[in-house]
Amino acid sequence: MNEVIGIIIAAVLCWLNFVIVDTYFGLPEQPGVRGARIVGSDVEKRGGDIAGGFFQGNVLCSPDASAGTLIASIGFMLLGIPGGILAAFLVFIGNRLCADPGYAGTIGSLTATVIIFLTSFIGLKPEMFIVGMVIAILTIQGLDQVRASVVLGKIAKKFNRHARE
Amino acid sequence: MFDFMFGTIFYGSYGLNNISISSLDILLAYIVTMIVSILVALILRLPLLPNKPYRYSFDVSALYPTPIIAIGILSIFLVLNYTFMYNGLILAIVIGVLSALFVKYLFDFVFPKPLNEDKGEDIDE
Repeated sequence: MNEVIGIIIAAVLCWLNFVIVDTYFGLPEQPGVRGARIVGSDVEKRGGDIAGGFFQGNVLCSPDASAGTLIASIGFMLLGIPGGILAAFLVFIGNRLCADPGYAGTIGSLTATVIIFLTSFIGLKPEMFIVGMVIAILTIQGLDQVRASVVLGKIAKKFNRHARE
Repeated sequence: MFDFMFGTIFYGSYGLNNISISSLDILLAYIVTMIVSILVALILRLPLLPNKPYRYSFDVSALYPTPIIAIGILSIFLVLNYTFMYNGLILAIVIGVLSALFVKYLFDFVFPKPLNEDKGEDIDE
């Protein structure tokens, strides 16, 4: 498959994977670690959404499904499916070192491994998922944090995981 | 082990090519180690599910994280192409038992719980 098209498809798949897994496991609901509350209230002060701010803070401060997807793609590139499972194990250790009770990281890297394995049949390579995941995190954290937090807050409301319910 | 490194670096082969047992045996080893770890954890009186609320619990249980630790450690052995006897089945059973023992007796020592158990590191201000 053409590399540019592959990277775009991989970025969309990565974005959906980590936003859905993170939202389902309650990242917008409450800050799991201390830094996430500070990021969330700061984003809200600048006109953003508090749930989206908590989401961004949790992504920043401890390994969750976004880190899981990235590490799973790297592990899959190096070691195949066992590498993806190894990534889930490493993300779990990282979660406990950050004193984060979350389940999102391990589940996210396992689902990412399944997605990379299934899409390898249509010609997507794990390298494309590494680039795609970097682009996906850039859209959440890098381009416009306030607007991204509003979008994440709307998604959190759809999943019934909003902080102010 | 060095064959694996050369294969990865010079021939661009992904890790599954380095494992000498067939992919069906790999799948079987993963399933066996998950089932053994869950069963041994239940025999050691770990709860099947963590305490409520499910999504914010530090407690260990039989379904999470015991099988995750078991398949993670089995993956290390597989990619290093160390699969002992019977196509890795013995290794899978041993790793399942050991990871259940680790979760039951050593986990809280290696990864201590934070002081405020309910909310992680988050402290209400």
